[in-house]
Amino acid sequence: MTLRLNTDFAAGLFGLLFAAVLWFPREGMGRLSIIFPRAILVITVALSLALIVKAFTRPAAREITIEGSPRRLVIMIAILFAWWYAIDLLGFLVATAFVFFGLTWYLASVEGAVSMRRLAQWVPIIAVLIGVFYLAFTQVLNVRLPSGIWS
Amino acid sequence: MDMLLEALFSILTLEGLVTILAGVTAGLFIGALPGLTATMALAVLLPFTFTMSPLQGLMALGAVYMGAIYGGAFTAILINTPGTPSSIATTFDGYPMARQGRAYEALAAATIASVVGGIIGVTFLLLLAPPLARLAVVFGPAEMFWVALLGLTLVASLSSGSLLKGLLGGCIGMLLSTIGVSPIGGETRFIFGIPALQGGIELIVALIGLFVVPELISMAAQGRGALPASGKLEGGAGSAIMRMGRHIFGKPVNLIRSCIIGQIIAIIPGAGGNVTSLVAYNEARRFSRDPSSFGKGNVDGVIASESSNNVMVAGSMVPLLTLGIPGAPPDAIILGVLLMHGLRPGLDLFTETGVLTNGFILSMGFAAMFLLPVGLLGGRLIHRVVVKTPFYFLLPSIAMVTILGTYALRNSMTDVFIMLLLGSAGYFLRLIGIQAAPIVLGMILGVIAEKGYVQTMLTAVVDPIPWLRLVANPLSIVLACLVALSVATTLLPGWLERSGRMAKVDPDEEKPS
Repeated sequence: MTLRLNTDFAAGLFGLLFAAVLWFPREGMGRLSIIFPRAILVITVALSLALIVKAFTRPAAREITIEGSPRRLVIMIAILFAWWYAIDLLGFLVATAFVFFGLTWYLASVEGAVSMRRLAQWVPIIAVLIGVFYLAFTQVLNVRLPSGIWS
Repeated sequence: MDMLLEALFSILTLEGLVTILAGVTAGLFIGALPGLTATMALAVLLPFTFTMSPLQGLMALGAVYMGAIYGGAFTAILINTPGTPSSIATTFDGYPMARQGRAYEALAAATIASVVGGIIGVTFLLLLAPPLARLAVVFGPAEMFWVALLGLTLVASLSSGSLLKGLLGGCIGMLLSTIGVSPIGGETRFIFGIPALQGGIELIVALIGLFVVPELISMAAQGRGALPASGKLEGGAGSAIMRMGRHIFGKPVNLIRSCIIGQIIAIIPGAGGNVTSLVAYNEARRFSRDPSSFGKGNVDGVIASESSNNVMVAGSMVPLLTLGIPGAPPDAIILGVLLMHGLRPGLDLFTETGVLTNGFILSMGFAAMFLLPVGLLGGRLIHRVVVKTPFYFLLPSIAMVTILGTYALRNSMTDVFIMLLLGSAGYFLRLIGIQAAPIVLGMILGVIAEKGYVQTMLTAVVDPIPWLRLVANPLSIVLACLVALSVATTLLPGWLERSGRMAKVDPDEEKPS
């Protein structure tokens, strides 16, 4: 999908917004703590303004191309955040089992409908994959993974 | 010499060689997992060395260190995910090579470069440790500031099209690095009342987010795997290795330059392998006859990055073994092991306990050599797995490992959230021309530049013009000149082309062999 967008303007605007978010909380900080971030903030604002000026005088690309399906792109981002939320809520094992299976089904359905038989075949594969990593992290690397409501 | 021979014989036992082989293999697989660094590999495997003799324990840790730094290249090349921060620069050309169906060539080049880099680092350490150690102590805050600025000139190389956007990315990275407790003032900055941000944004969290998540989103949107399935090797694996060997040794200047850069930066405490590989990559691009091919799959970029970061493994032992200053985070763990066995860093280490120290150094040389068979076999195996696994299994698997790896860093789900947030933002920033590489570069070098700058200003409070302290001694003047030279050589060709004083070079006319 191709969208009309002046990338110089978008980048400059993003730079200004990012600098603004950090500009206001800097009040009240000691000289030693603010001297470096303040210098970088000033440079960021200068670069952003330069990009905005360039956007009107000598603009670069005026369109951006999103390769593939924008719907899948948005859904993938949503799934990743849902995965993060579910781990906190349900614990790593349960959340990952559900999300991993669901994501596999969703991505495989890009190539066509997924039969129940295929879904059933995936269960042991996914269980082994999750199990191996779960055991490696908890037993070998001694990482305590979130257990959510089961703790 | 007697000590060196005695050390050599104490390594050349079945037990010694098996220990090194096991260490390299373990380090390689841990280093290949995104989020698990060489420091973590050493920390995890440290308890296993408690029951070993001092030499065997040190041999195991040296081998793990060498394997982990090299292991980072695997995922960097195959799925655009630097396994360790030291392999960031490997992604720039390694992944484009893999996307062109040249993954095994990139892996072979990374392996050969790592082996040579490792051996050269060990040779430097054996022969030049005391004089190099004296160089380490002359790097004060002002010099570190200039070293960081020298690294930041790499932004121009990584900007891919727009220098302004590259510089903006670098500034965003530097600002991200200032979140949390100030390294000099000790105050919390930009945490917006969120206690979890007090520790700042961990570099590896940002690294995984900015490199892996956009790739995952892109793979899902396009319904594709990490690599094209038709990645057949021209002439087989052996031919690819020979081809890369001929390329590396046929034009050894890039390799030699990268190793020297790696060694010099490695002895500077606090610089670490990530800075080493980035600076070596930048210089490889600058001296190349076809700089425009960098970032598009030029194998010289992979060679520069991987040789320099493996030189760093032994190179960073110079200040550690002679002065007790860990050159990089994993060295701190090795320092702990040395102290645990009653070994005090200093020149006595090379005389009174010379057999042990030389044995440890030589074992790292053997570990570097073991990278060749282990790496080439392991590389083939992982390459096959990545190519053959259907994308609908590969994608959730990579996502799971990145979530696990990010969480494991500080046992923090906030880190996972930051990783996803930066990654999603990184995808859209990439669309408008702000690449991940300058942001990460800013994060790495911002911390070093800030410490150097603020400490220098602190020492110069009584001076009439404080900033002159930044160029107050010959070394800092030399480094400042190098920065100026670096900026000039980067900007001058573009300016000459634009002003019509130099003919525009078509990058496709002359490709490196």
